[in-house]
Amino acid sequence: MAEQPLISLRGLTREYRMDAETVYALRGIELAIGTNEYVAIMGPSGSGKSTLMNVIGCLDTPTRGEYWLNGTEVSRMSDDELARVRNREIGFVFQTFNLLPRATALHNVELPLIYAGTSARERRRAASRALERVGLADRMHHRPNELSGGQRQRVAIARALVNDPSILLADEPTGNLDSVTSQEIMAVFGELHTQGQTVLMVTHEADIAAHAHRVVTLLDGVVHSDSVREAA
Amino acid sequence: MRLTNLAEGAMMAMDAIRSQKLRSALTILGIIIGVATVMSMASIVQGIRGQIFNTLEVVGPTTFRILRFFSSTPLNPDALPREVRIRPVLRAEEAEAIARLPEIHYSAIWVGVFERLEYEGSRTQPTVVYGADERFMEILGGGITAGRVFTSPEARSGAPVVIIEEEAVANIFGQINPLGRTMRIAGRPFRVVGVYRKPENIFQPPGQEISAIVPFETAKRAFRYDETNSLIILVKPREGVTVARAMDATTVQLRRMRSLRPGDPNTFDMITSDQILDVFNRLTGVFFLVMIVLSSVALMVGGIGVMAIMLVSVTSRTREIGVRKALGATRREILWQFLIEAATLTLVGGAIGIVVGLTAGEVLKRLLGFETGVPVWSAVTATAVSVGIGLAFGLLPASRAARLDPIEALRYE
Ligand SMILES: Nc1ncnc2c1ncn2[C@@H]1O[C@H](COP(=O)(O)OP(=O)(O)O)[C@@H](O)[C@H]1O
Ligand SMILES: [Mg+2]
Repeated sequence: MAEQPLISLRGLTREYRMDAETVYALRGIELAIGTNEYVAIMGPSGSGKSTLMNVIGCLDTPTRGEYWLNGTEVSRMSDDELARVRNREIGFVFQTFNLLPRATALHNVELPLIYAGTSARERRRAASRALERVGLADRMHHRPNELSGGQRQRVAIARALVNDPSILLADEPTGNLDSVTSQEIMAVFGELHTQGQTVLMVTHEADIAAHAHRVVTLLDGVVHSDSVREAA
Repeated sequence: MRLTNLAEGAMMAMDAIRSQKLRSALTILGIIIGVATVMSMASIVQGIRGQIFNTLEVVGPTTFRILRFFSSTPLNPDALPREVRIRPVLRAEEAEAIARLPEIHYSAIWVGVFERLEYEGSRTQPTVVYGADERFMEILGGGITAGRVFTSPEARSGAPVVIIEEEAVANIFGQINPLGRTMRIAGRPFRVVGVYRKPENIFQPPGQEISAIVPFETAKRAFRYDETNSLIILVKPREGVTVARAMDATTVQLRRMRSLRPGDPNTFDMITSDQILDVFNRLTGVFFLVMIVLSSVALMVGGIGVMAIMLVSVTSRTREIGVRKALGATRREILWQFLIEAATLTLVGGAIGIVVGLTAGEVLKRLLGFETGVPVWSAVTATAVSVGIGLAFGLLPASRAARLDPIEALRYE
């Protein structure tokens, strides 16, 4: 990889200062992720996976160290700038879906575009297309409570995709799904990756991680192992 | 960008209202009451004001009045202050002398009393009966629909003749033709010579409708009246003469008749239509102030209700706020969305308040028996005020929402 990586983390540290003691969630992460990689992040509970995802997703800022995204340093940005980066560069998929319960699938998917200032017509068009990509063209006007868990997560994926982000971040996206549905969702991620999408996913299940082409293991807030697998 | 945000905020608000109908209704009740109060009062005051204008228009904006003593509230005739007692009572001769001035078109002394009209079995409530001259329509407007006005000899001699107003005719005579019949006012017999119709849309405070006109001389002999509050000389300048010039000439004439020396103060008061309007405006100003204070209290209560419901709304939607932030909403955008949600709530309350207030105002005006248009300015103000309340009281909850940390918000159960 000669060109600069999509994501570059140098000595990334995140500390939480609680009353007297300091909790070290991340202690010097060195990591580079290139465009169109499919990376799984593994590690025991409390090893800093979610914290890392939050920093990469621009929801959190590091205490020390650098975070470069697409050639710009994100680590020192203001709140508003971070919001813009989240809106344009990041697509989030959460374990608990986090859909707005009273909004239709279509409106949920339109949300990022509302904050991007896209026109209503363009929003509708892009949101429908994103829902088609995850195989939910026929569920656009359903509300979350009218959808199965797998379908809800597809809506969430469509919402993450709709802004055409540089990277798709998923923190245990199958954590709330049964194994059959999990495989379906993983198939969606696989398909998106094939289409060129960069994917970064946290999981603690080996068979889910097996879908990724590279597995990074965290331990106590540092990268413990980083292995690239050749696709079979 | 701000526009899509506005739509999103309004949608959030409608959503919140729909999902929490009762809670929302209670919340905006204060706003509804506040706005409705102001609206109905504004509509009534506007109605009365419109009619006073109308009345002054009929009377003629140049007409002025001479009183023994001008006070915006009636004086107690049994306990007159010294400054009033030292003034002479108005006399018919004074009105006649003023009428002879070249600047003056009309001048006559009138007396207004409050008496019941009776005919055989039927009797009205006490209503206004004027003792005036045969040219009274120069002041009152309107016209004679049957019979005639009294003649000058009748007026001069104090003949027991009366002109009855149309509605009063219907009240006491029913279908009977009143002309030539003898009826009673204050127990004394009067012969009906004419039927009078009032001009359209004239101001008559409830219970003070004009029901009969008799010659001044007749009234003076037949009725008991109070010489301070009930007597008035009405003066209308000749065309082309300014009110100021006519008033000067009148003042000179009256002072001469009362043998006042230069330097002596006037022993009468003279007021113009403008002054009457001023008094009315001052009274309604006070009235309005009271209404505004009262409705402000209701609006405050409404505002605090909105603040409370918005705080609850922010807490119960913490996760939603986290999601919106994760998807790229800035603090400012979250702030505006909640502000717009609050403003939409109060705007809905304000709109309902306007409708309720106007309806109540219409009903009251119907009951009081006059009609006017919708006071547009008060509807505009009410709308602006209710939106303002939403923005003001929504600020705290909205800024609380805007300040939420996205990670904690997303974790919130
Ligand atoms: N907001 C916080 N305040 C204090 N400590 C935190 C906070 N968030 C995470 N931590 C701590 O940081 C460490 C890493 O947490 P996390 O990134 O959630 O781990 P993982 O997702 O791998 O289970 C843990 O020890 C956790 O207790
Ligand atoms: Mg975690």
